[in-house]
Amino acid sequence: MTPNTPTPALDPIYDVARLAEIVELGLLSGAADPILADVARRAATELKLPVSLVSVVLDEALHVAASHGIHGMWLEEAGGHPIEWSFCATSVRTREAFVVENAQTHPAHHDNPLVTQDGVRCYAGVPLISSRGFVLGNLCVVGMEQREFTRAEMDVLHALATEAVARIEAGRRDATLS
Amino acid sequence: MPALTSDPSRVPGYDLAAPTEATALAALQRVFGVDRGRESWAAACLSAGLVVGFIRSPDSLQRATSALSAQGGAAATVARSITIRMRTHARLLAKSGATTTGAVR
Repeated sequence: MTPNTPTPALDPIYDVARLAEIVELGLLSGAADPILADVARRAATELKLPVSLVSVVLDEALHVAASHGIHGMWLEEAGGHPIEWSFCATSVRTREAFVVENAQTHPAHHDNPLVTQDGVRCYAGVPLISSRGFVLGNLCVVGMEQREFTRAEMDVLHALATEAVARIEAGRRDATLS
Repeated sequence: MPALTSDPSRVPGYDLAAPTEATALAALQRVFGVDRGRESWAAACLSAGLVVGFIRSPDSLQRATSALSAQGGAAATVARSITIRMRTHARLLAKSGATTTGAVR
């Protein structure tokens, strides 16, 4: 196996190569990226929802790389949350979009503390897939009322996710050139 | 009303316990395997001036985690996960109004 090649036999959440890719792309640098933040803002605005995240799914936690609508919340202060509460982790395993229209009745999330304690009711996320084929995390939107997501709205999320990945990959190129 | 819990270090309603040295080591071993995970943790503790098996405060765990982060690569992501879990626990515990001794088992 060459370095940074996906290892499908493993649970991708714990894939060493995927996790190394996250570091190589500078996603844990901690520096606020205004372009990624703008992608999150546009996602929330376009879908008329209060919260959007550019998430990075680590081994045991979700790391918030950029966000809109969480200022002053514990999620912003913590910089993420435990992975067992993560809606985005599903896409790392399936490599597909994940939609929850009513979290209170969803079999995997009805007892999620983000639902029972923080009031999350709906979610839509699309995977951020690097040029090397790793799912890094999701571009997602979150709402406090149940709702449906149209195909057109999911198309918007996919388009914005493509923008986010292009920005993230630019970080790799910049690091290589410097 | 938040759910009642018998463990004061768990965040009411979230059922979240504070990370410990044992959970940090287990996380490393899930990613790297038993032996390499143990080696990585031992190196982090050594670098931080700590003794493996005797990390009993949040401050010590954070120092070991910072040293783990300096190893780079996937170890840095494990370190970030531990840090996020520590911060989440601390923020939510404070928000709940509960108190803890700060002990890390």
